[in-house]
Amino acid sequence: MNTTFKAIIWVVVLGVVAWAGYALLGSQPATPVEEAPVAVPAEPIKIGFMGPLSGDGATYGEPFRNIVELAIAEINAAGGVNGAQLIPIYEDAKCNGKDATAAAQKLTNIDGVKVIIGGFCSSESIGAIPVIEAAQVALLSPGSSTPDLTGKSRFFSRTYPSDATQGKVLADAAFTIKKWKNVVMIQEQIDYPLGIYNAFSSSFEQLGGKKVVKEEFPSTTTDFRSMLTKLKAMKPDALFINTQTSAAAGRILKQVKDLKWKPAIIVNDGTAGDMQIISEHKVTLEGALSAEFGTDPNNTKLQNLLSLYKAKYGTDMPYPSYGQTEYDAVYVIRDALLAVGNDGAKIADWLKTVANWEGASGSITIGADGDRVGGHVLKVIKDGKAELYVAPEAMKTATTTTATTTKQ
Amino acid sequence: MDIVPQLVVNSVIAGSLYALITLGFNLIYGTTKFFNLAHGVFAACGAYTVFWLVKIANLPLNLFVACAIGVICAGFLGWMLDVLVFLPLRKRKASSMVLMVASLGAVTAIQAVLAILFTSQFQTLETGGAGSYAYDVLGAIITETQIIIIVSSVCVVAMLGYIARYTTFGKAVEAVRDDEEIARMVGINTNRIISKVFFIGSAIAGLAGILIGFDTGIEPIMGMNILLKGTIAAIIGGVGSLYGGFLGAFVLGFVENFGIWKISGEWKDAIAFIVLIIFLLVRPQGIIKR
Amino acid sequence: MAYLIHLAIISSLYAILGISLNLVVGYAGLLSVTHAAFYGIGAYTTALLTLYAGWGFFTSLVCGMAIAGCAACGIAIISGRFKGDYYALVSFGFNIIVFSILLNWQTLTRGPLGIPGIPRPVVLGMPLVQNGHFLLLALALLGVVYMASEWIARSPFGRALKGIREDEEVLRVFGYHVATYKTIICSISAMCAAVAGSLFASYISYIDPSTFTLNESIFILSIIILGGLANMRGSIVGALIFVLLPELLRFVGFPPDIAAQTRQVVYGLILILLMMYRPQGIMGEYAL
Repeated sequence: MNTTFKAIIWVVVLGVVAWAGYALLGSQPATPVEEAPVAVPAEPIKIGFMGPLSGDGATYGEPFRNIVELAIAEINAAGGVNGAQLIPIYEDAKCNGKDATAAAQKLTNIDGVKVIIGGFCSSESIGAIPVIEAAQVALLSPGSSTPDLTGKSRFFSRTYPSDATQGKVLADAAFTIKKWKNVVMIQEQIDYPLGIYNAFSSSFEQLGGKKVVKEEFPSTTTDFRSMLTKLKAMKPDALFINTQTSAAAGRILKQVKDLKWKPAIIVNDGTAGDMQIISEHKVTLEGALSAEFGTDPNNTKLQNLLSLYKAKYGTDMPYPSYGQTEYDAVYVIRDALLAVGNDGAKIADWLKTVANWEGASGSITIGADGDRVGGHVLKVIKDGKAELYVAPEAMKTATTTTATTTKQ
Repeated sequence: MDIVPQLVVNSVIAGSLYALITLGFNLIYGTTKFFNLAHGVFAACGAYTVFWLVKIANLPLNLFVACAIGVICAGFLGWMLDVLVFLPLRKRKASSMVLMVASLGAVTAIQAVLAILFTSQFQTLETGGAGSYAYDVLGAIITETQIIIIVSSVCVVAMLGYIARYTTFGKAVEAVRDDEEIARMVGINTNRIISKVFFIGSAIAGLAGILIGFDTGIEPIMGMNILLKGTIAAIIGGVGSLYGGFLGAFVLGFVENFGIWKISGEWKDAIAFIVLIIFLLVRPQGIIKR
Repeated sequence: MAYLIHLAIISSLYAILGISLNLVVGYAGLLSVTHAAFYGIGAYTTALLTLYAGWGFFTSLVCGMAIAGCAACGIAIISGRFKGDYYALVSFGFNIIVFSILLNWQTLTRGPLGIPGIPRPVVLGMPLVQNGHFLLLALALLGVVYMASEWIARSPFGRALKGIREDEEVLRVFGYHVATYKTIICSISAMCAAVAGSLFASYISYIDPSTFTLNESIFILSIIILGGLANMRGSIVGALIFVLLPELLRFVGFPPDIAAQTRQVVYGLILILLMMYRPQGIMGEYAL
């Protein structure tokens, strides 16, 4: 009885303390740090950042952070936004929804930001959306590509195109150009590769290809030999290596080679943008197809970014196809601030009206569904580098190919 | 059915790797009677030592020498862990669960240290094309490295068998395994024997790690997964039994790889544990009773 | 302040997990390393029922508890005959099997895509959108779990459990049906873990299988070992320490990647030092 009584007291006390504290010190999560003006005051503006700064995703998150830092420094040096300096606040979302939610909570509740650049991984953006919606904060992602995010929220937009285009482009290339009917896939069990599988297989099957058989594996797998053996025995026209972690891609490519198997290969844009993997496995990957959201070597802003990055950080900028959209995202937000001020809802709505905005990644138009219009182009890997695919025929004729009456 | 020869080869390769881990694990379990969860991390240590020597420090060492150093380092680290942590606990008559939890702490810490020193990035030990030349054998493909793996596991089990049967050290280990108390009363310095066992067991794990490094690559967490498989193999085969563990490893390798054929890769880990549970229910002493 | 509320909620979740695991490990002496599986079952049940079937939070909570309880029954019956480290190994296996199911049964769980948009609980007509209100719910449930556990611990049932922990054979000789006791306590423990899972799902509003791995089970085990086995308050203290520790390390200012690994080193060292010098943890009455 004594303990129960004490326990009850405990709970009541805790409850009262929490409530009192909350009532006295807490506030509506969406209370703005300053008033919501149309003209931005000269007080510094906090910009939130969410990305994978540790764990597997850090290879993408670190450069992401560096680029944002670089861009914001540039903007500040040029006078900031109407005289107001930008202050970035970096949070680690660890490439998963749970930590992204915590990161978004911290940024919106404690730091009181009105706009966040991020997430990078699709799971980060998906996790953050309920939080930013409740807090009325705009979220602009330069890297989340899952088709699931299309039209997901008033407050979410992205400067990176959806993987739906990647799947479609690859399916078109596989079926129409290469005349492959039977493609098998080895796929890592994370959302990004799964989204690509969905997009690719539905396009491919619609065109008339056979059902895409896949072997899935959890990220901790190291031994792919038997899965590859099984796929090899199906004598497919091509093997689609659909991974997220470069460890998996590296192992699979090596084990394909070890099995003396030389299939035609398709890879996703994550792998195609991974310089280390491509150069290490250039023999196996020779002629492989990929659909990258491409970089235009003639884009002056991009060239500028590359040399600035190298000067400031001492290494070449990795993953340029993401680097360009990350850089642009910062500047897009600057323009949003200039246009409508530091107000989350207004920024979110403004972002959906971005049209023909010229950046390092080319011309950006964001649709009403938050997606960047246009997107992936077909690439082929030659001699350790991904190049634009030059087709004898343009691919544009492939769109409404009626399914030829093949049995499957 | 031309897939079968390759599956057989894959099973043998996987089995050989599991065998190397199981042999060391069984050796340690036999004498200390607890599941040393840190065993796997010495595989990672061995692999990273070679990695450091060859790729980072860039010392002009013969590859064999580097591997030998890696193996010895792994053994040494295992020995140190025993002396620093397990020995004091054993002196206090700690239960096997305490030792297991302590080993859990050790593996968590050591893995993290490796990640700090070398980053969690995936790396390969391969330098150039050496060792990955692939042979066509009876309809299946196998690389040089993989052949070395299989040969190593056979050599190691043969060596251990020889030691157990024909050397005084081996007989002392047997004695400790049968009954530590009595062994001590008879005058055997059990603690020293156990420390040496730790050295040998961890060294074998180190060898496994190095071979895995050449075959599939290294990451700081590589030890944990293969350790769980090694433990399953040990139990299936008969915990504490040298040949039992060896056999269990191959049983596991075959079940996993042929399972993928029919069931599909994503369930591989679950299959391994279901096999374990079935064995524990039906024949808990394992295939070869100790 | 809002962040403190967030930390308090997370601490409450881990406290519930710790207390429930303590029932099995601390009182019954069974080294179970599969708690994350029941945590996950509770989370996914709530996610699926509230989002797709439109049921209320509390109904889904009860369903989650029922499913977890049944699963635990099954597991306990199978693993009941194993001792000590074998038991631990079998429990590893169950965790991995449940994780594989969550990851691979994609038609049900959406696999790695996870389940986003889980709604907050609705209490008396009011959805708990404000985190402060949610904290009160979490604390209330924590209170219930704590009191229930204390009551069990002090009851004759609890004493029998401790007897099983100390010497199972003796109790069997005295006519106690040991297997039944073990099964019952495992079920209760699993049901409480499911409560934490339901709270987690509706708080974070997004779940995916990667939260419910073997590592998470090991983490929960570490909490109660630190806090002290067979001591409920110790579990709460342990949960607080483990949740707040990363926040403190954050101020030291390591780069994030190193910080995460440093945390692991600290956890590992804590476990080793505890085992060597204070196996009963901070407030425990029982050493492994």
